[in-house]
Amino acid sequence: MSLWKSFNQGIIKENPVLRLMIGLCPVLAVSNNAINALGMSVAVAFVLICSNAVVAMIRKTTPDEIRIPIFIIVISTFVTISDYVMNAFTPDLYAALGVFVPLIVVNCIILGRAEAFAYRNPVLNSILDGVGMSLGFALALISIGVIREVLGAGSVFGIALFNPAVAATIMVLPPGAFITIGVLMAALNKFENKVQ
Amino acid sequence: MLGRNYLGAGENVGKIFKLGIILAVFCVISAGGLAIVYMYTQPKIVLNSQLALEGSKKAVLPPSGKGQAIAVSPRGYGGPIEMLVGVDPVGKVSGVKILSQRETPGLGANIVKPKFLDQFKGKSLKDPLEPKKDIDAITGATISSRAVCVGVKEALRKAK
Repeated sequence: MSLWKSFNQGIIKENPVLRLMIGLCPVLAVSNNAINALGMSVAVAFVLICSNAVVAMIRKTTPDEIRIPIFIIVISTFVTISDYVMNAFTPDLYAALGVFVPLIVVNCIILGRAEAFAYRNPVLNSILDGVGMSLGFALALISIGVIREVLGAGSVFGIALFNPAVAATIMVLPPGAFITIGVLMAALNKFENKVQ
Repeated sequence: MLGRNYLGAGENVGKIFKLGIILAVFCVISAGGLAIVYMYTQPKIVLNSQLALEGSKKAVLPPSGKGQAIAVSPRGYGGPIEMLVGVDPVGKVSGVKILSQRETPGLGANIVKPKFLDQFKGKSLKDPLEPKKDIDAITGATISSRAVCVGVKEALRKAK
């Protein structure tokens, strides 16, 4: 698989959230404002790129029978590192993301890419796949975060746009996440149909 | 037959043992890496939480710094509301700060705003400390507003 394709496919064509529909739990939970969405995207990108790189590096020495537990060890190591680092250097963001940082360990995107891509491809391709998938995840998560924050709280990245009293609070509550994801998926499908 | 079975089992044990060793090696490498990261980040994490607590105490106590900062956690709408109440030496509230809460965003979560919390300044146990009496509750968030009142009352009682 070409390097460009490894990088490119995760962004729109196989966007993990809007296309493959995996890793939806953190997407629903932390997309209530743009800052949380951005922080979560950065943490997931770090874990995904590092775990893809390491899994590709060790793929020839990893026995097939125990590859899944080994993937989990690799992933949980990087999740714990990002947990410590965020707690030490960005305590406010860490408090806002709460339990969803440790839960990156069970984010299907990461184990999915380790199993479906990094275990079968060279290191450079796997890193690029990690970057592309992270960008796709970030694109979806931040779009949802911005839409929900603007409509639900009348601000974007914490900067007030209009009086929050006229904002639709439902958009920052759980139903708002489902509505926004549904509308974005429909829009992406429509767009793709037109292109074809 | 018996011998073959036995041999088969023996081979299996050998393989399981080998796989176990490989897994153990991965665990050791991972634990070693984490220990190093922990060593570098832990002092900073401890310092952060101390600074945050000291900052909150300073914010709720009167400018003189005298009085007590009391931590209470009344039950809110979405779980306990961790809050810090400053009580001055004569038993009046000098400040209230919400440390953590899980109230509804846009409604109950507005209890963290100074506009709501500043109402408690100067209150004592002689005041009713109830929504709709001496405290303006947040629209659509009576339970959250009442929880903060309960917390302030509890802190005032503890301060005596």
